[in-house]
Amino acid sequence: MSFDRDARAALADGQLRGALRHATTLFGERRRAAIAEVPDWEGARDRARAIKDETLLHLDRYLEQFAANAERAGAQVHWARDAAQACDIIAGIAARRGARTVVKSKSMASEEIHLNAALAARGIAPVETDLGEYIVQLAGEEPSHIVVPAIHKTKGQIAALFAEKLGMEPSDDVAKLAAAARQALRRRFAEADLGVSGVNFAVAETGTILILENEGNARLTTSLPRTHVALMGIEKVIPRFADLEVFLRLLPRSGTGQALTAYQSLLTGTKRHPADEGPEELHIVLLDNGRSRMLASPVTRQTLACIRCGACLNACPVYRQIGGHAYGSVYPGPIGAVLTPQLLGMGESAELPYASSLCGACRDVCPVKIDIPAVLLHLRAQAVARGGSTGTRALLERLAFASYAAVMARPRLFGWLMACARRLHIVPPLGAWTKWRDLRPLAPRSFRDEWRAGLRHEGGR
Amino acid sequence: MRVSLFVTCLADQLWPAAARGAVQVLRRMGCAVEFDERQTCCGQPAFNTGYRPEACALARRLIEIFESSDADAIVSPSGSCTAMLHHYEQLFEDPGWRARARAVAERTHELSAFLVNRLGVDDVGASFRGRLTWHDACHGLRDLKIKDEPRRLLRRVRGVELVELPPPGAETCCGFGGTFSVKYPEISVAILDEKVDAIDRAGVDAVVSGDASCLMQIGGRLSRRGSAVRALHLAEVLASTA
Amino acid sequence: MRSEDARREILSAIRENLKPRGIAPGSAVGSTGSADPGPATEGPQGPRKSFRAARGSKERGDVVSSFTERLAAVGAQCTVVRGEAEAAGALAGILSGAGARRVVGSDAPLVQRLLRPLRDRFEMAALDRLSRDDLFACDVGVTTAQWGIAETGTLVLESARERSRLLSLVPPIHVALLSTRCICESLGDGLAHVRQADSHAITFITGPSRTSDIELTLVVGVHGPQTVHVLLLEDL
Repeated sequence: MSFDRDARAALADGQLRGALRHATTLFGERRRAAIAEVPDWEGARDRARAIKDETLLHLDRYLEQFAANAERAGAQVHWARDAAQACDIIAGIAARRGARTVVKSKSMASEEIHLNAALAARGIAPVETDLGEYIVQLAGEEPSHIVVPAIHKTKGQIAALFAEKLGMEPSDDVAKLAAAARQALRRRFAEADLGVSGVNFAVAETGTILILENEGNARLTTSLPRTHVALMGIEKVIPRFADLEVFLRLLPRSGTGQALTAYQSLLTGTKRHPADEGPEELHIVLLDNGRSRMLASPVTRQTLACIRCGACLNACPVYRQIGGHAYGSVYPGPIGAVLTPQLLGMGESAELPYASSLCGACRDVCPVKIDIPAVLLHLRAQAVARGGSTGTRALLERLAFASYAAVMARPRLFGWLMACARRLHIVPPLGAWTKWRDLRPLAPRSFRDEWRAGLRHEGGR
Repeated sequence: MRVSLFVTCLADQLWPAAARGAVQVLRRMGCAVEFDERQTCCGQPAFNTGYRPEACALARRLIEIFESSDADAIVSPSGSCTAMLHHYEQLFEDPGWRARARAVAERTHELSAFLVNRLGVDDVGASFRGRLTWHDACHGLRDLKIKDEPRRLLRRVRGVELVELPPPGAETCCGFGGTFSVKYPEISVAILDEKVDAIDRAGVDAVVSGDASCLMQIGGRLSRRGSAVRALHLAEVLASTA
Repeated sequence: MRSEDARREILSAIRENLKPRGIAPGSAVGSTGSADPGPATEGPQGPRKSFRAARGSKERGDVVSSFTERLAAVGAQCTVVRGEAEAAGALAGILSGAGARRVVGSDAPLVQRLLRPLRDRFEMAALDRLSRDDLFACDVGVTTAQWGIAETGTLVLESARERSRLLSLVPPIHVALLSTRCICESLGDGLAHVRQADSHAITFITGPSRTSDIELTLVVGVHGPQTVHVLLLEDL
């Protein structure tokens, strides 16, 4: 991962930055309008966070309850310790069910485990059916936003892509582009043997999984093929059916500014009669992949409260400038900066917790009140304590902070050093600052100099 | 009322006009101001970069310094440093230190919050001719919920025309973020340029804020871009009787 | 590793990580102050009650007009009728107005009754003899909805009550018959109604299908229906 390099590339891409500015501004406005309609928005956030906290504190119990109820309703529940195991399980299901064609609706977890590559290696090429995911799949790229994966592409670029891959007459009429995708995918839906979806919420009390969407592709993915595989992180479980209300009120408004997305599918097990509509088999895959580790401390545990709405991305001044690709993983933005290092380990993603100005805008908009800055600070402290980073820059930094600590503990030394720097006109070699900004010099007299020279005695003015 | 000044290392060495201004305004409001010269830094740079033991050591030191004062209040011309001090409690495991940190934090206020909420004033007898816009420094805004107070104070300054910053707005980060500004300078400046563009569009004489760190970031870019717009600390404007 | 072993390992990892180990540096909670909350907070009644308390309970007529307002806001069409005769006429009007040729109705008795007189005007296939290709070639799917939710303009379809899952999804036009008696106020009310129903698939539908994935420009009618038309029946 090279956050630094990828961020600079993103900054140089004027079209990307314009698209990001437009998207994040628009989502921010829509979100504000949508939450203004809710009489007690803050109360809803508190309740949702309380439900998540309660769940995480007893996650084992709720997962067992969910699995038992889902199985009682006819679902088959699988447990996957890590990405590789999850891929094996899903590939195994596909093989057993004789699935040759697979359709997928939006699932970040499936991208986290690199499911498409694992299936492709076994001769199955899943087709992404969410329009944004379909576009990035055709383009051979990664998604750049949780809610609008292809936000980094212009309609012109998409038109060229569709002309090349679908043989479509080039047109930048957005409705025509969407219609072309719809037509191309309808055949796939009709023929698919197996559908893979994500899960937004899993209800322990009833064994129900809930999937939210706007396009209808998740409904098609989960109702037409004979086999449905639903992949979920273990943190998606919530205790009670009635708890869904508060999350349904928070998520769409936070993510897209809608009161509700066009569709919610609440699926509990398999059909009761063979003649009913829907898949013959439902397989629910519970994915750990590093999540259980995050339970260890209250600060990191709150990372698991995330409901993947994307509001933090839209509020983040850093994301607004660089977009999702620079974060180097399926989870971008503020939540990505804390989730990715915890899933992959700090070694691989050590830069991410530092790629933030700690402004706290994310914390303000998070529907479940995750204190992302607190988690960032925790990860930074971990990075320093583990002393993992080597190299001149890291060594110099340690030296700098050791000196700083020693000096600041000694006020007379501090004063004397500043006085010397003042007299000798010493300027710290901060090229990273001065390349773009003038550096304010030390004041000719410090405040404490002024105080001693007479300010202490002056009366009120 | 007796006030002990929490000057902050940045104001002390780089922006003494902010600290001097704070002293002058507080005295004008009838406060007696003390300054304990043992204070240096609150430890925020260390804490924000992940150097917790170093931050804790400086926190203990500052707590002891302010405990030794029986002033009615500790006042600071910086939202971020005040927020840091309020955060001290969470740095410690030991219940004794947590209680001591909490006690000091309860007495510590950012300047505008102190004037408006504790002293109950918004007219500090200041005059300053100019068209100004306010930048909400992040920690003051989000940690301390300071938003109305500086605006109320500035609107009562004779000669000031206060305008709100156009989008992305006063509440958007300036991109400083401490070491972030030099670890990721390109991103820091990209964020900053949106803010400076907005300041240009506002057609003001100066941008005002309650944190010297933001002012260094914004002012440094304004001057590099050849702008005539000045960066001023709130305390400088409030102390002005010009 | 088998799934059973993984289950054991995952549950064990969860329990292990949740064991309190004393407060470590930096493990103090963030500024939202959410420390261990103790026993279960919201029971099933909690969230619903507070929302209704905040908004105040509505009169029946208000609920219905909220619902129709919301339907319009989310881009669904709505026609209000009294009684089956009027409904039949309205349905015929909707179908011909849409230029529909192939129409399929669900197994709901009401749908069957209303479609029967229209057999000579439109091609109609029976749902249980419909091939997949036929389904995809349909112009209109006609179903009922078990509930309407006024708060959001949402239709609720329960698989245990009717085979409406595919008819409300595949054809580009979906006509849904809903009795005004079945409109409830809030999401919580809607959830409470279906909670007991033991349907393996419950679908909430709010307006036509849509996307903003291309340059954030709204397109209506992507994979799901482009048109949702609610036929609202009073006094049935």
